[in-house]
Amino acid sequence: MSDTEVKFEDMEKFEIVQRFSNWKELLKPSAEMRKGFYSYAASLKDQEYLNLPFPREWSPLDDDWKLPPNWKEIIINKMDELRKKYRSFQVFMDICVRCGACADKCHYYIGTGDPKNMPVVRAELLRSIYRKYFTKTGKVFGEYAGARELTEDVIKEWYIYYFQCSECRRCSVFCPYGIDTAEITMLARELLNSIGISQRFTLTSAAACVRTGNHLGLNPGGVVNSIQYAVDDIKEITGIDVEVPVNKKGADILFVTPSGDYFAQPHWFTFIGYLMIFHELDLDYTMSTYAAEGGNFGFFHSFEVAKKINQKIYKEAKRLGVKWILGGECGHMWRVKHQYMATFVDDTYEDALKSLEEPVNPITGTKFENASSTKMVHILEFLADILKHKKLKIDKSRNDHLRVTHHDSCNIARGMGLFEEPRYVIKSVCNYYYDMPDHSIREKSYCCGSGAGLLADELFELRMRGGMPRAMAVKYVHERYGVNHVTAACAIDRAAIPTLLQYWKLPVQMGGVTELVANAMIMSGEKERDTDLRGNPLGEYLEVEV
Amino acid sequence: MSLIGTVVGVYIPYIAAFIFVVGVLYRVFQWSRSAVPFNITTTCGQQYSLPWLKRTWIDRFDSPFTWWETVIRMLMEIFLFRSLWKNVRYELPAQKAVSTKWLWVFGLVFHWSLLIVLIRHFRFFLEPVPWFVSTLMKLDGFFEVHMDWFQPHMTHILITGLTLLVALLYLLYRRLAFPKERTFSLPSDYIALILLLGVATTGLLMRYVYPVDVSEVKALAQGLLSFHPPANPDLDLMFMLHLLFVSTLLAYFPFSKLMHSAGIFFSPTRNMPNNCRAKRHVNPWNYPVKGVDWNEFYENFKDDLDEIEQMGFVVRPEEY
Repeated sequence: MSDTEVKFEDMEKFEIVQRFSNWKELLKPSAEMRKGFYSYAASLKDQEYLNLPFPREWSPLDDDWKLPPNWKEIIINKMDELRKKYRSFQVFMDICVRCGACADKCHYYIGTGDPKNMPVVRAELLRSIYRKYFTKTGKVFGEYAGARELTEDVIKEWYIYYFQCSECRRCSVFCPYGIDTAEITMLARELLNSIGISQRFTLTSAAACVRTGNHLGLNPGGVVNSIQYAVDDIKEITGIDVEVPVNKKGADILFVTPSGDYFAQPHWFTFIGYLMIFHELDLDYTMSTYAAEGGNFGFFHSFEVAKKINQKIYKEAKRLGVKWILGGECGHMWRVKHQYMATFVDDTYEDALKSLEEPVNPITGTKFENASSTKMVHILEFLADILKHKKLKIDKSRNDHLRVTHHDSCNIARGMGLFEEPRYVIKSVCNYYYDMPDHSIREKSYCCGSGAGLLADELFELRMRGGMPRAMAVKYVHERYGVNHVTAACAIDRAAIPTLLQYWKLPVQMGGVTELVANAMIMSGEKERDTDLRGNPLGEYLEVEV
Repeated sequence: MSLIGTVVGVYIPYIAAFIFVVGVLYRVFQWSRSAVPFNITTTCGQQYSLPWLKRTWIDRFDSPFTWWETVIRMLMEIFLFRSLWKNVRYELPAQKAVSTKWLWVFGLVFHWSLLIVLIRHFRFFLEPVPWFVSTLMKLDGFFEVHMDWFQPHMTHILITGLTLLVALLYLLYRRLAFPKERTFSLPSDYIALILLLGVATTGLLMRYVYPVDVSEVKALAQGLLSFHPPANPDLDLMFMLHLLFVSTLLAYFPFSKLMHSAGIFFSPTRNMPNNCRAKRHVNPWNYPVKGVDWNEFYENFKDDLDEIEQMGFVVRPEEY
């Protein structure tokens, strides 16, 4: 996470050039690698470690991508396979009417003006090939039916544009048939993977996660060190000794959080927030060094790698003998946990899922009926329940130096529907809360611009452009209500949005939702506090430096 | 003349109808044969989680938890174009999105007009004319216009016929005039519109300008439906044109984007409830993928893990 080191000088100013070509132009592949818009290739080491097909050293800048000799055949066969495996693929390829409702809903299109970033055209990049090889009209009428030949340039174009989609699903909300570009992007990445093309950032994190249990590649000792720093910090701030169980057998709950929380800024304050709250509630929980990661970068790569990473959580839950699983603030992690996790389970670890019990909050007795099958509860559902039952002593005025707004992270907004929980939690612990304009929150929320493996530094310009609509919505509430703090329940957001706010010169800080709860919580036996978790003085309005 | 009547009035419609039925069934069969590995519903409203958490009626249908909420979501999508209703347009200099409902309005007008016009056409096929068809005719023709100077027979203006044409013209106009829409419109998008415009225009011309012999049309329609078509029908030119457009449209239908009318029922982001964590979805082709299990993990990081064990599986603050 070298985000803070990004240099801004080349990027002082950019303009959005909207280009309007025509369908014939769009059928020609654009394979030019422009700085800031293409991703680096996966390293050989990671490809080999994950047993991916055709591992090799290659670069997107090379003319020859060293594709396997029968690459075309592989792609067509894979497409045929995916067509049978995913109804979504076939239906979404067949029924788009190109009404254009999705076109300006993509933050990358808004920020770049590139017609190939319109969701409809992004899908056409794949659809044109599908037509050529799988439909009668495409075979007979070719170009005039919107079909085109599969060439190496098409592969290059796919690599550029399917790694310019953050799988945020905003277009899917507006599509009258619910065509989901995230699904199309995922399948396109599956196709690219079948001929040995993967993106470096995604794969490095995924390989690290398989090996060490977390995306950052921390050894178990490293995870423990992080927790050590956290409890030391808590002691310094509150004077309280907090003990954190790790790999402890027989606890009630396994707590899993995205690994960014272990030391990245401003994730850190959310992380110590979790630990403070669990201590105050006297919760019987444990963290794990084996299942030390809630996120799943494999999800941005392929079905197989996603499954590889996800199974650890259930396996660890069984090994430790916990009753259920609590998950931290993360975006795509919750898309996976909500919509994929239980479905991923196969016979080899079915017993692990069976060993768990339906989640019940041990503090309040609330049954989490909505998680009765997956047995995994979101921290904000848990906290909303705790705060509703007034199980924590809260002093709302401790957040009075903040004017707060909430950014709905794409995956938990459109892949889960978690809208009221964060708002309930924030309003329970803050006096000043303001929503951003309607077109930019809840199911219409704009992505931070860095999801689905696009947090890579080489995509910096794309990210700042893609994040522009979000930044402008923050600017609006900053100017109108003096908002100086954005919350988001997503680790990628917490990495991406500070950079984005800095780039767009907005004097606003950002952090997780739990951090605010921990700010406002009065712990029993704590020493007098005159700063928040970040060391900012309480009371007067916080002026954030740009 | 009668040979043309037989070809255009009997052979072509039968062939077109055959292609239509078989083609649509084939496509639907193909879709239903492919698996639905994951529940990927797009959640556009508050999920069902804690019972006391505010969930509006609209949330329940935009993020359905039960099967009947899902059915209502689908019905709202099909009959009211719920998703298009949400449409916004991003305005670059102002950096905000504003609500835009034109596509929703004309899309809805077009589809509803088409449906009503189709139902009205039942009167040519069914004898006696069912009550709902005649009621619909009356409602549709509530503007009684006497323009004897123009057409002596005409007393009713049927509104949906005209709105159908207007909406189609708007849908064509936006593809030609709006830069984004012009950018991604394919020839097939225009073909569909042109065929529909052909059908609508010839239909309107028959009704208002070049009246045709309705009894002849009715005899043909009923004959076709009962598989006893009249021999050598003598058909008006305008009617034959109308029939040709309809036949082309029917035959083109299964190969084109017009399949969206059936496809919407199969869209997994809309037809599945948002109960993914409450009810497990089964992936029919799920297969085991080998990951790193605990034993392998332990071998790799033995020292670290033993140290954690020595700490009693607890991390405590260091003494200051």
